[in-house]
Amino acid sequence: MRTTIWVLCLVFLATCFSFSTGVAEPFNEQALYQAAKAEGEVNIYSYSSRVFKFGKTFEEKYPGIKVNGFDMDSPEIVTKVLAEQAAKNYVADVIFLKDPATVINELYNKKLVFNYVPSDLADLIPTQYQEPLLVHHASVDALIYNNAKMSAPPITSLWDLTKPEWKGRVIFPDPQKLSEFVEVLATIVQHADEMAVEYEKVFGQEIKLSSGVENAGYEWILRLLNNDAIIQGSTNDVAKAVGLSSQDNPPVGFTAYSRLRDKKKDPNLKFDVMVDIAPVMGISTDVVVGLVNETKHPNAAKLLIHWMMGDAKGGQGYKPYYVLGNFSVRKDVAPPKGSKSLSDLKLWKADPNYVWYNGQKVLDFWLAHLQ
Amino acid sequence: MKARRTFLSYSRFKNYIRRPHIVISFVLLAILLFIVLLPFAKMVKDSFVWQFADIRLSRHATPGELTLFHWKRVFASALTKNTLLRPLYNSLAISLSVSACAMTIGAFLAWLVARTDLPFKKSITTVAVLPYVIPSYIHALAWLNLFKNDRIGGAAGVFQYLTGLSPPDWLSYGYLPIVVTLSIHYFPFTFLLVSAALASIDSRLEESGEILGASRTYILRRITFPLVLPALMSSFILTFSRILGTFGTPYFLGTPVRYYTLSTQIYANIINRIPSVGYILAFVLIAISSVIIYLNQRLIGKSKSYVTIAGKGFQISPTALGRLRYPVLGMVALLCVMSVLLPFLLILWQTFALYPSDYSLKHLTLLFWIGEANTAFAEGEAGILRNPLIIGAAWNSIKLALTASVLAGLFGIFIGYAVVKGRHTRLSAAVEQMSFLPYLVPGIAFGALYLALFSHNIGPIPALYGTFFLVALVCVAKNLPFTGRAGITSMLQIGSELEEASETLGARWTMRFRKIILPLSIQGAISGFVLVFITVMRELSLIILLVTPETRTLTTMTFRYQEQGYAQFSSAISVLIIVIVVVGELLSRRLGRQGAI
Repeated sequence: MRTTIWVLCLVFLATCFSFSTGVAEPFNEQALYQAAKAEGEVNIYSYSSRVFKFGKTFEEKYPGIKVNGFDMDSPEIVTKVLAEQAAKNYVADVIFLKDPATVINELYNKKLVFNYVPSDLADLIPTQYQEPLLVHHASVDALIYNNAKMSAPPITSLWDLTKPEWKGRVIFPDPQKLSEFVEVLATIVQHADEMAVEYEKVFGQEIKLSSGVENAGYEWILRLLNNDAIIQGSTNDVAKAVGLSSQDNPPVGFTAYSRLRDKKKDPNLKFDVMVDIAPVMGISTDVVVGLVNETKHPNAAKLLIHWMMGDAKGGQGYKPYYVLGNFSVRKDVAPPKGSKSLSDLKLWKADPNYVWYNGQKVLDFWLAHLQ
Repeated sequence: MKARRTFLSYSRFKNYIRRPHIVISFVLLAILLFIVLLPFAKMVKDSFVWQFADIRLSRHATPGELTLFHWKRVFASALTKNTLLRPLYNSLAISLSVSACAMTIGAFLAWLVARTDLPFKKSITTVAVLPYVIPSYIHALAWLNLFKNDRIGGAAGVFQYLTGLSPPDWLSYGYLPIVVTLSIHYFPFTFLLVSAALASIDSRLEESGEILGASRTYILRRITFPLVLPALMSSFILTFSRILGTFGTPYFLGTPVRYYTLSTQIYANIINRIPSVGYILAFVLIAISSVIIYLNQRLIGKSKSYVTIAGKGFQISPTALGRLRYPVLGMVALLCVMSVLLPFLLILWQTFALYPSDYSLKHLTLLFWIGEANTAFAEGEAGILRNPLIIGAAWNSIKLALTASVLAGLFGIFIGYAVVKGRHTRLSAAVEQMSFLPYLVPGIAFGALYLALFSHNIGPIPALYGTFFLVALVCVAKNLPFTGRAGITSMLQIGSELEEASETLGARWTMRFRKIILPLSIQGAISGFVLVFITVMRELSLIILLVTPETRTLTTMTFRYQEQGYAQFSSAISVLIIVIVVVGELLSRRLGRQGAI
């Protein structure tokens, strides 16, 4: 009985804290843990199946709190949270997903999801990654090739993919299913001028846009599709299609940089990321994490977010993401062995605002021109 | 005088309202209004109204206001070709081809079993029904395990592993594999219908032909065939409309080569949060199905005049297959192996493969069945028999199938009673038509509507989203056309004299229902119950949008794992589904036999 009262007091205190000023109070891990323990569990909707890994280490570190991780595609997470909020049947406590444009406009702006930055991390993360929602890590989508069949990267420019020798040999994930590739395509369109300059470098002449095509970014998408690009349902499948190919002339593909980790799980997979591609080797997109409105486990949720952000050495909670191709937003975390830091790579960063207003238009263009 | 008339009409009204089938009809109407008509009305409304997420589509979007935008997007925009026309063409091509193939195989098999001296008929009948019991997308997964090539998707199938040859795309994905796998799945349907027709036609007609010296082929062509034609037609048409809305198989076998159908386009649009466009595509499907069902009724109505169902004569002497007997048996055996055993073994084999494309014996493992959570594999998920998520999903599946089948079965009996007792009244027709409506709405769209509709409270009814009840409700609603039909058929067979006699003797309605109607219609209800159990057990498209983490089922887990490329997990769960469904089928057969006594 006495312990129960104690715990209740702590919960009360912690709740008071969490609803007070919000930013200023120091991060008190023990108090948060005690309050979270009273809640007993936390539900997280995650775009990535690695949720089970950090969930497990969290349970080991904080006994008494169960992590129920649910793995879904990002658009589905948004749909589910919208339905739960409308139905006042609050299941998700934390959401962890891609496509910040949609999360900000459909959930954050409607006050269905809140930002939570653990106060001990405020100085360790550049402010651009702290709002409107905390960025967990940046993820890069890039081109891969089969390094068992090919001794060196077979292309040097994005425009190479539109050449006849790559007909039917470029694999691209389905943007209808994977929202981050809408971000990728929209970002290429956003940088149409640079695409036009690059075109001249590759083909030695100014780009001639097809009729009805707005700019060089759209033109690249059009020519990629007209070159019989193969569409795959997941980045996993792209990695396999490129890395397991027994063809002498294996395809290249656009996929998540972090798919490199698959090589450990399957020794037959042979592929590598091409880093010297012009104008950029890939596009970086943000993965965000947020607290859901009316959560039943606010303290456990906060503790989990804190755990996911790791520590100065990377940390157990961040470990599943401490891989090539994922980039921690923390200033104190060095990139994994063999990786450059985000700023040293030739990348374009997806802009949530641009993606929100143009993403669907780009996707429509893609759909209209699918062969 | 006037008062007297009012009194008369009042007492008439009172009498009317007190008749049990009228009360039942009104109660049914109220429920149907809620679970069938309301979703349908919302579907129509939403297709004309700007949705919030539409502000991504157009700068002119003002959420909540009326617009023709979605209709224009589907029927008159740059997207029309890829959103509507090509998927429509593909859907029709698949439906036509599958119906034709399934009908040919099923009818031929039915004739072999019913009219020839083929050995092992009983076993063949038992096995031939099994492909229909297995979820149709499992055939698709088995096909992938066999013929997947390495150009697309990387990990190759057994075929390439054994022969070293990479199968061409047209064999791995798209039209051909979809048609083959769906035909394998649907031929038992024709087989059952035509078998029943062959068993019920008066064999004296065929006999008299024989006595008059007609040849076997002549009898087949001029007597037997015309007599089973109505059964053939309805099996063709029912298969056709089922295939139109089918989702899993075209999704698994079509999307890798961008072979989209209307059903996969509906899904894509709904997932992409443009549900209005999905609904309009669903209207296209509904329109086609309605036309086909209308045609079916016209055709059957016409040919009904010479369908003769009468007492049976002597069993016609079976056609001797002669020298062909064993070759034909071989062919039938091959069909059974290909449609049942091979898919099962392929799926099973995949579950033991450590790496998706490596089928060698030294890399076989039980990891995906009983492995502990090991972070080196499958992102640290435990084997399915140790995985609490999957065991929970298995219970959910069984619970869902049982709940839905009991409710839908009961509903069916009441619908049957209300419709048959009130025959030729408008009320009865309304109940009958409304209960048939869900048949026309594709599962995926029906699920989307329930998601949109029941995530808010409707009057006094609280928001149902996230509850197990809602998932069960959508399964009940979608299966009403089947149990309702079954209820009507079995109620038609019960003469009204029985009930009238007991009424005269002063039995109350509840007594009559319990002692007469229920026992006499229970046989039909049980078969409806089994059908719904199996259908719900393998249901995917209807519930995929409605399940929450707590209510997820085995089928939705399979879908998720398959999407993420964990073929071993999805295969292992498929094996689990097959086992549950087949055990359920066998149990219910025993139950049915006892019920018959």
